[in-house]
Amino acid sequence: MSTVENSADWLGARLARKEDLRLITGQGRYLADMVLPGMLHAVFVRSEYAHARITGIDTSEAAAMPGVVAIFTGVDFKDTVKPMPQPVVKPNLPARYPTFWPLAIEKVKFHGEPVALVIARDKYVAEDAAECVYVDYEELPVVRDPEQALGPDSPLVHEEDGSNEIFAMTLTGGETPEEQAANAAAVEEIFQRADVVVAERFRCHRTGITPMEPRGVLCDWNDSDGLTAWITTQRPHIDRLALSDLLEIPAEQVRVVAPRDQGGGFGVKAPFYRENLAIAYAARALRRPVRWVETRYESLMNVGQERDQINDLEIAASKDGKLLAVRNRGVADNGVGTTGVYWGFVMPFLGAVELPNAYTWERGDVSLRCATTNKAALTPSRAFGHFPTRFALERAIDMVAHKLDMEPAELRRKNLVPSLPYTSVTGEYYDSGDFVKVWDNLMAQADLPAFRAEQAKAREEGRYLGIGFACGVELSGVASELLVPMENQPGYGAATVRLDPRGKVYVFGGDAPGGQGHETTTAQVVASLFGIRPSDVVVTTGDTGTTPFGSGSIGARAGSYFVSAVAKACAEIKDKITRILAHDLQIEASVQHFEFTNGEIVYLGDAAKRKPFTEVVERIIMFPINLPEDEVGGLEHTAFFEAAKPMICFNADCCIVEVDVESGNFSIKRWVTSEDVGTVINPNIVDGQMHGAIVQGLSNAMFEEFVYDEQGQQMSADFEHYKLATAADVPDIEITYAPTPCPHTPLGTRGIGEGRPSSVPGALSNAVCDALRPWGIEITDLPLRPGSVWQKLRETRG
Amino acid sequence: MKTITVTVNGTSYEESVPERMLLVDFLRDRLALTGTHVGCTYEGVCGACTVHLDGEAVKSCLMLAVQADGHAVTTVEGLAGEGGPGPLQRAFSNSHGLQCGFCTPGILMNMSDFLARHPDPSDEEIRSGLVGNLCRCTGYVHIVRAVRDAAREMREGASEVQA
Repeated sequence: MSTVENSADWLGARLARKEDLRLITGQGRYLADMVLPGMLHAVFVRSEYAHARITGIDTSEAAAMPGVVAIFTGVDFKDTVKPMPQPVVKPNLPARYPTFWPLAIEKVKFHGEPVALVIARDKYVAEDAAECVYVDYEELPVVRDPEQALGPDSPLVHEEDGSNEIFAMTLTGGETPEEQAANAAAVEEIFQRADVVVAERFRCHRTGITPMEPRGVLCDWNDSDGLTAWITTQRPHIDRLALSDLLEIPAEQVRVVAPRDQGGGFGVKAPFYRENLAIAYAARALRRPVRWVETRYESLMNVGQERDQINDLEIAASKDGKLLAVRNRGVADNGVGTTGVYWGFVMPFLGAVELPNAYTWERGDVSLRCATTNKAALTPSRAFGHFPTRFALERAIDMVAHKLDMEPAELRRKNLVPSLPYTSVTGEYYDSGDFVKVWDNLMAQADLPAFRAEQAKAREEGRYLGIGFACGVELSGVASELLVPMENQPGYGAATVRLDPRGKVYVFGGDAPGGQGHETTTAQVVASLFGIRPSDVVVTTGDTGTTPFGSGSIGARAGSYFVSAVAKACAEIKDKITRILAHDLQIEASVQHFEFTNGEIVYLGDAAKRKPFTEVVERIIMFPINLPEDEVGGLEHTAFFEAAKPMICFNADCCIVEVDVESGNFSIKRWVTSEDVGTVINPNIVDGQMHGAIVQGLSNAMFEEFVYDEQGQQMSADFEHYKLATAADVPDIEITYAPTPCPHTPLGTRGIGEGRPSSVPGALSNAVCDALRPWGIEITDLPLRPGSVWQKLRETRG
Repeated sequence: MKTITVTVNGTSYEESVPERMLLVDFLRDRLALTGTHVGCTYEGVCGACTVHLDGEAVKSCLMLAVQADGHAVTTVEGLAGEGGPGPLQRAFSNSHGLQCGFCTPGILMNMSDFLARHPDPSDEEIRSGLVGNLCRCTGYVHIVRAVRDAAREMREGASEVQA
C-alpha cells in the first residue's frame, strides 16, 4: 500500500480495496446467502438427452411428496409467458432467431435443457422430488458437427427454421453482394501475386470462463409493488426490461437487483436466461419468494461454453515480410442458441470483426457461418468471441515468419499499425494509443538476442526452449455505434453522484460488477476530484430501483465509460460548488480558479481564501439562502458519457517455454507482458485483472474442454472432468506498462481486462512451436496439451 | 434426525439435524454462517467450503453435519481475532489477493492451516498447498504473494513475542 500525501494522488494509488474487509471476514452477501421469510426452493429437472421428443411428463409422485409446493412443466408457460425472442433481448443482426419458452415444450434440444421446475419448502425435498419427475422421451438424431449441420441432409435443431444456419455474414467489402464479390476478387488477386501464402485450418475447442459462483435468482412478488428479482447478473437493467416484457408486468412494477457481491461474471452472467424467467413466473404464481441456486453441474451443462470454432485462415505476404491480405472462413458451433441477448452467434460475430488485430492489411475477406447444434448455446466468456480467431491469426503470422525465415517478433513489429486512429479491414475503429511503443517495451523486457543465445546453448544440451509472441487490440467499452446493432442496447456510461450534508459522496451506477473492484476505483476517482478520501465515498451498483440505466458490466465499460460518467458528474458538481463559493467569498472566480485538495477548497488567487469541503457542501445543501441569482440548493448530478467513436486498449505477450521432446510435456518458464491501459486508477487492480485474464487464457488453452459424446451427452459437467488451472499449474506473471492516456476520456483512462485472454493461446503455442523448430512443427488445434505435442513429435521425428 | 453438539467459532450448539444434512448446509442454513461457500457440486474440488475441524482444514461439503458431532469447527467468520482481521487476512487485502471474494474464505482457511505447518514456505510450496482451492479471478499471482507476505509477518510477529 502506498501512502497518499496529496489527494490528487488517489488516482494511481495502490489502495487496498474497500470491498475487502467484508470479503475476508465472511461478511460478503452473495445471492445464495439471501433468504426471505417464507422462501421456497426451486430445482430444475433437466433433459437427459441431446435431442428428443417429449412424449410424457409424470409429476404425480413428485407432487405428492410432503413439502412440495408446485411443479411446472413447459406447457404451463405456453400461453402465460411471451416466448423469446423479444426486441429487448434481440440484436439488430439478421438471423434465424429460434422461438423458445422458459422450459422445453414438445422437444428437448440439448443435454441439460430445463424440462420441469420443482418448488418445495426445503431444498433437499426439492431435489428429491426432481428425481421423481419422470419424463418420457423419443430420441431424435443428434446434430453434433457444425459443418455437417450446415449440410443439406442434416436433421434440424429448430425445425421451424428450415435450416441450422442461425447466422451468416460477410464482414468485408461493403454492403451489397456485388461489392463483396468485387472485394473477394481483389483479395484473390493479392493471393495470386503474393510471394508467400499460409493457408491452414485452425480449430479451437469448446471452452470458456466459469465463474466460481454459479448463477442464481431470488424473486419476490407482492400485488402492490410487483416483482423484485435478485439475480446474479452483469446487466440488471436489461433483465428488468426483459422480465417486464416477457411476463407482461408493467415496467414500474419490476425491480432487479444484482447482489453487491457477485462471485465473478466474465460474460457468463451477461445474457438474459430462461431460468430467471421461470423463477419470476413461479414467484408471481405462488405469491411466495422463490430462490434458485444453480449447481455446478447445471452451470457446466448450460453456460460458460464459448470459443468452439473452425477457422480456415489464409495470409498473403511479400518476401520482405509485409502482410498483404487476410482471408478467413469461420464456422462456429453455435449450440442451441436459446439464450437472450446473445443467441450464441454474437460472440463469433465480434470474433470475426476483431480478426485483423493490430496489423495493417491491404485487404481482407472475412466471413462467418454459425451452425445450430444440439449442445448448450455459446454464452459470452471473457475475450468475447475472439479467442479462436486471434489464436488462428497469431499462429498463422508465426507460420508466415517461418516460411520467410524471419523472426516472428520482427514480422509483427514491421506490420503493426504505425499510428492511430485507424480503421481495420473489417471496419473496426482503433481510436488511440501507440502499438509500436507497447511492442518495443515488450521486446526490451524479453531480450530476444539473449534468449536466442540461451536457446542455442540449450539445444546443444538436448533441451528445447522456445519463445512466443502475440498481441491484442481490445475494446475499451463498447460504443453505442457498435452495441446498438450488436445487442440492441446503448453503450453510454451513466452515473449519479450525490453529496450529503456531511460532505460524503454517494455514487450510483447501473452496471453490476463481480469482483473488479469498482467500489474502490470509483472512490479513488471521486476522492481525487473532490480532494477528499476514498473512505468518504459510497458506491452503489446494480439496483434498478436506485441507479441510472446502464447496459451492464460488459466489454470493459468501467474504466472507460462508467468512470468517465462519474468524472463528468463530479465536474458539474464542482462547477456549482465553486459558483456558490465564489459568491460567498465575494470574488470573481470560476472552477478553474479553485483547487479541491486534502478536504479543502482553496482559491488559487489567494490561498488564505479557503474553506473545508464539508462546510461548503453543507452550506449548499442545508442552508440554501443568500445564493447567487438563479442558483438553488442541493448537490446531485447524473451524467452520461459516450465517446464519439469506439475506444480500445492494447497489449502484447511474451511466453518462454521448455518442451521435453520425449514426452511432449512443456512448462512455462516465463510470461511477461506489455500493456497500454491508459491512465491507471489502481495499479493493484489492473495487475490483478491482467493476471487473472492471462491465467484464464492458459487454463482455456491447456486444460478446460467441454466434451460431448456421439449422442450429444455432455461428459464434462463437474470440476473433475472440466479442469480449471490450479495454482500449481500456472506460472508467475510479469506485467509491465507502456501506456498512452486515452485522449477521449476525461481522465485518460481506458477500459481494460475483458479481451485480455485472447492473445494468450497464440503466444503459448507460438512458444511451443519455436521450441520445436528443428522439426518444423506447427500447431493448429487447441487445446494444447502434452499429448498433442507428443503426437506431433511422433509424426515428424518418427 | 439426530441431535448433535458442535462447537463453532467457540460457541457450542446443540441441534437436531437430518442425518443426510451436509456440514456446509448446517453452517450456512442453520447457523447463518454464509461466509463458507459452495462452488462445485459437493465434489470437494473447488475448496470454497473449506473450514477447520479441530484445527485442521477440511472441505465441509464432503462431510455430514452428524460427523462433526463432538468436534470444534472454525469458519472464516471465526478467523479474525479480537483485534480484527489477522495477518493472513490483512495480507490478502494489502496484496490484492482477492477479486470477487467467492473462493477467498476457503483459501484463507486452507492457508491458515498450511502456514501453521509451513511457517516459511517457498512459492512452489504455496502453489502446491493451494491445489485444493480454485480461483477464477486472480490467476493466483497475488494470492501467492499474500501468503508469502503473511508468512513473513507471522514469523516476525512470532519472533517479537519470543524476544
